[in-house]
Amino acid sequence: MPIHDQSYRRYGGGRVPRGRAWTVIMSAGLRGCFRKRAFVALLLLSWLPFLVRTVQLYAAANFPQMALFAPTPETFRQFLDQQSTFVFFVTVFAGAGLVANDRRANALQIYLSKPMTRAEYVFGKFAVLAILLLMVTWLPAMMLLVVQMVFSGSTAFLGRNLYLVPAITLLSLIEAVMVSAAMLALSSLSRNGRFVGILYAGLIFFTDALSGVLRVVTRDTGLAWVSFSNDLAQLGDAIFRIPLRYAMPWPVALVMVLVLVAASAAVLERRVRGVEVVS
Amino acid sequence: MSTPVVSTDHLSKWYGQVIGLNDVTVTVAPGVTGLLGPNGAGKSTFMKLMTGQLVPSKGSVSVFGEPIWENPGLYFRIGFCPEQDAFYEQMTGLEWVTSLVRLNGVESSEADRLARRALEYVDLTDAGGKKIGAYSKGMRQRIKMAQAIVHDPELIILDEPLAGMDPILRRKTIRLIKEWGREGKSIIVSSHILHEIESMTSTILLINQGRVLAEGNVHQLRDLIDEHPHTVSIKADRPRVLAREFLTHEDVLSLRFEDKAVVVQTARPDVFYSRLTELAASGELGTIHEVTSPDDNLQAVFEYLVKS
Amino acid sequence: MTPASAPRQPSLLFSTARIFDLSLGQMLWSRRSVFLGLLVGGPVVLAVAVRVVFALFTVGVNVNRARVPGDVVFGVMMWLLYVRFIVPVLGVFYGTAFIADEVDDRTITYLFTRPIPRRAVLFGKYLAYLVCSALLVLPSAMLVFFLIVPTGGGSIAQAFPGLLTDLGMLVIGLAAYGAVFAFVGARVRRPLLIGLLFALGWEPTVLIVPGYLKRLSIAYYLQALVVHDVPQDSGPLVILQAFRESPSLVVALMALAVIVVAALWLAGRVVERREYVLEQ
Repeated sequence: MPIHDQSYRRYGGGRVPRGRAWTVIMSAGLRGCFRKRAFVALLLLSWLPFLVRTVQLYAAANFPQMALFAPTPETFRQFLDQQSTFVFFVTVFAGAGLVANDRRANALQIYLSKPMTRAEYVFGKFAVLAILLLMVTWLPAMMLLVVQMVFSGSTAFLGRNLYLVPAITLLSLIEAVMVSAAMLALSSLSRNGRFVGILYAGLIFFTDALSGVLRVVTRDTGLAWVSFSNDLAQLGDAIFRIPLRYAMPWPVALVMVLVLVAASAAVLERRVRGVEVVS
Repeated sequence: MSTPVVSTDHLSKWYGQVIGLNDVTVTVAPGVTGLLGPNGAGKSTFMKLMTGQLVPSKGSVSVFGEPIWENPGLYFRIGFCPEQDAFYEQMTGLEWVTSLVRLNGVESSEADRLARRALEYVDLTDAGGKKIGAYSKGMRQRIKMAQAIVHDPELIILDEPLAGMDPILRRKTIRLIKEWGREGKSIIVSSHILHEIESMTSTILLINQGRVLAEGNVHQLRDLIDEHPHTVSIKADRPRVLAREFLTHEDVLSLRFEDKAVVVQTARPDVFYSRLTELAASGELGTIHEVTSPDDNLQAVFEYLVKS
Repeated sequence: MTPASAPRQPSLLFSTARIFDLSLGQMLWSRRSVFLGLLVGGPVVLAVAVRVVFALFTVGVNVNRARVPGDVVFGVMMWLLYVRFIVPVLGVFYGTAFIADEVDDRTITYLFTRPIPRRAVLFGKYLAYLVCSALLVLPSAMLVFFLIVPTGGGSIAQAFPGLLTDLGMLVIGLAAYGAVFAFVGARVRRPLLIGLLFALGWEPTVLIVPGYLKRLSIAYYLQALVVHDVPQDSGPLVILQAFRESPSLVVALMALAVIVVAALWLAGRVVERREYVLEQ
C-alpha cells in the first residue's frame, strides 16, 4: 500500500502480567527521590557512620594497639541504632509526600482508574520508602560485615556470629516495615506533605517525651512501650541477644509494633480511595 | 497618544533553562487588549510580570509609568484575576471579597458595601453567603473576578477568565468585559481561544514561545501580512465560469471549488475586490450571492504567524 | 462603579491587623489545628492517668512508688513535653508555613496583589499563629498543672505563681520559635527538615555540650526564665542539670527579644524581595 495509515493503532506488543503495577509506582517513586540533589546528599550523609566504622574496623584489624576497637555483635547493634537518626530524616524527606502529594494533585482517581488495585498502589508506595530505609540500615550494616571480613582477611568473626546476618536483616526489615507503614498512613491523612512530616515527628518524639516523663514519675522503664522508638530498640536488643535496655518484656514491644502496623493498614484502607464520599 | 497602561522594554524572564518570555518590548494602550497565544506561549508569565509577582530576569516592565516590582501602591489601580483555581475554601464568597478589599485600606462597613456590589456585578449576590468550597466552577471564576474589580481599579488583568465557564456564562462575562471597557477601564485579557478574544476586542497582542509575534488591530495586522495571499470565497450561480475569468488575471494565485463556491487565493486583494465588484454589478457571469474572506480574522492571522 | 478617591497606602500596622483577621479564623478552625489540639491534649491525658494511678496507689496498696512531689513532676512535664517538644514543634509547623502554605495553595497571589507591604502578610500570620498556639498550649498547661501538682503532697497555692511564670515562658517560647522558623520558612527551600533538625536535634544536643554553643539555641535562654527542680534519682535529668548554665533573667529576656525582632525583620526582608513561582 503506497499511502501509510497515520491514524491511531492499538498496541499489539506483549504485556506484563497483571499484579505488577506496583513496580511502576515503586520505580517512579524511587526515580523521583533520586532526582533530588538534596535527597542524594542526605543518603550520602547517612553513609558517613559506615565510613567511620570502616576506619574503626581497619584500625582494629591492622593495628594491635587498636584491638580495643575490635568489632563485637554490639558494634552492629549500635550501628543500626545510630542509623535511626538518618532513618527519621529519610522518612520525613521521602515519605511525607508519598500519598499526600497524590491527594493534593487529585491523582488518586487517575491511578485507581488504571488496571491497578488499591493494594498495588499502596504496596508500590510502601516499597519506595522501605527500599530507601533498607539502603540506610540493612545495606550499610551488611557492607560492614563484608568490610570486616575483607580487612581481617578471614571469616572467623562471621563464623562465630553467623546469627548477625539474619539479625541485621530482621531488625532492618521490622524497622522498614514499621516506619514505612506509619508514614504511609500519615501521608494518606493530609494533602500537605509538611503537615505529614510534623505528624510523624509528633508520633515519634511525643511518644518519646511521654515515655521520658513516665520514666521520671514511675522511676521505672516498664512503661517504655509507650514510645515506638523504644519498642524498636527493645526488639533490636532481643534480636541481637544483648541485655534488654528497658524493663519491659520484648513481646510487649513486638505487640506495639504490630498494633502500629495494623492501625496503619486500617487507616490506609479507609483513606486510599479514588473518590472521597462526603456526607 | 494616551499614556500606555503597561509598557515593557526588552523584558525577559527565564526559569533555569526554560525561557518564559524573550525580549518583549511592547506598550499596551488604554482599552481592551487581548493577549493571545497557545498554551505555554508565555501569557501567564507576562501577566505575572505585569502584576509584580515575578521579577524580570532582564529588561523592565512599568504599569502606569511606574515599575511594578516592590511598588504595592500601584495595586490600588490594578485588579488581577489569576488563572489558578485557588481560594480560602472555608470562607463564604462575601467574606472573602470583603476581607480582600479591606486590604485596600477600606473600613469594614464600606468594604461590605463594595463587596456586595462586586458580587452583584458578577451575579453572585445569592451565593455570597455560601462557602466557596461549595461553589461550582463558573461561580469560582466569577468570585475571582469579583475580588479583582471590588476596589474599582483602572486596570483589570484577567488571566483566562472564561476557563471552565458554560456558553451562557461565557457570553455574560464577555459582555461584562466589554462594558468595563466602555466605562473607561483598561482591560488585558488572556486566552488561547481565538473567537473569545475576537468577541471582546480587536486589539491584540499575539504571543508565542515567549515572543511577541504581533500587536495591534487584528484587521490591520491582516492587511500587513501581505506576503501571505488573501483567501476570498465567492458563492455564485456559475462558479466555474467565474473561475475561468479569474484565471486570466495574474494576481490570482490559485483557486478551488467548494460547495457552490469558488475559493480564490489572490496576491492583490484590492485589485481583486474591485474587479469582483464590477463583475457583480454587471451580472455578465451570473449572480454572485456572497463574498467572504475566511482569513480576515484572528484565526488566520494566528495560524499564519504561529506556524511560520 | 464610581471611581474611588485617591487612597493612601494602608500602614504596616493596619495591613498586619487585616491579615491577622483573615488568618486567625483559618488557623483556629483548620483540621491541622484540631490535630495539634490533640497533640497538646496528650499531656492532659497523661496527667489524668498519673492522677488516677496516684489515687489508686495511695488507697490500699502500699507500694507507693511515686514519691516525687507533684510540682516536680509538673516541672518535668513542662520541660520535657512543652518546652522541649510541643512549643518547638508548633513553632516549626506554623512558622515554616506562613508563606509556604499560601504558596502551595496558590492563594498568595491574592495577598501580594493588594496595596499592602508584603511583610505585613508575614507579620499578620505570625500574630495569628501566636494567638492560635497560645490558645492551644496555655489551657493544656493549666489543666496539667491542676491535675498533677496536688499529687505527691504538692500545693497548688504554693506552686501557682510558678504556673504563671511557666505560662509566660511558654508564650515567649512560642514567640521565639515562631519568629525563627518564620525566617527559616521564608528563606529556605526545605524548611521543615531544617526546622526539625534544629528543634529536635541541635537544641537538645547543644544544651548538654559545655561551652558557648548552647548560646546558639533558644532553649538556653528559655530555661533561664523558669527553674524547676528535677528528681535527683533521674539520671538523664540530673546530667542535664549538671551541664546547665543559665544566663540571668534580664539577659535571657533581652536575648529572646532580640531573637524575635531580628528573625521577624529578616523574614520580612526576605518576603519583600523574593519572588514566589507558583506550581502550575
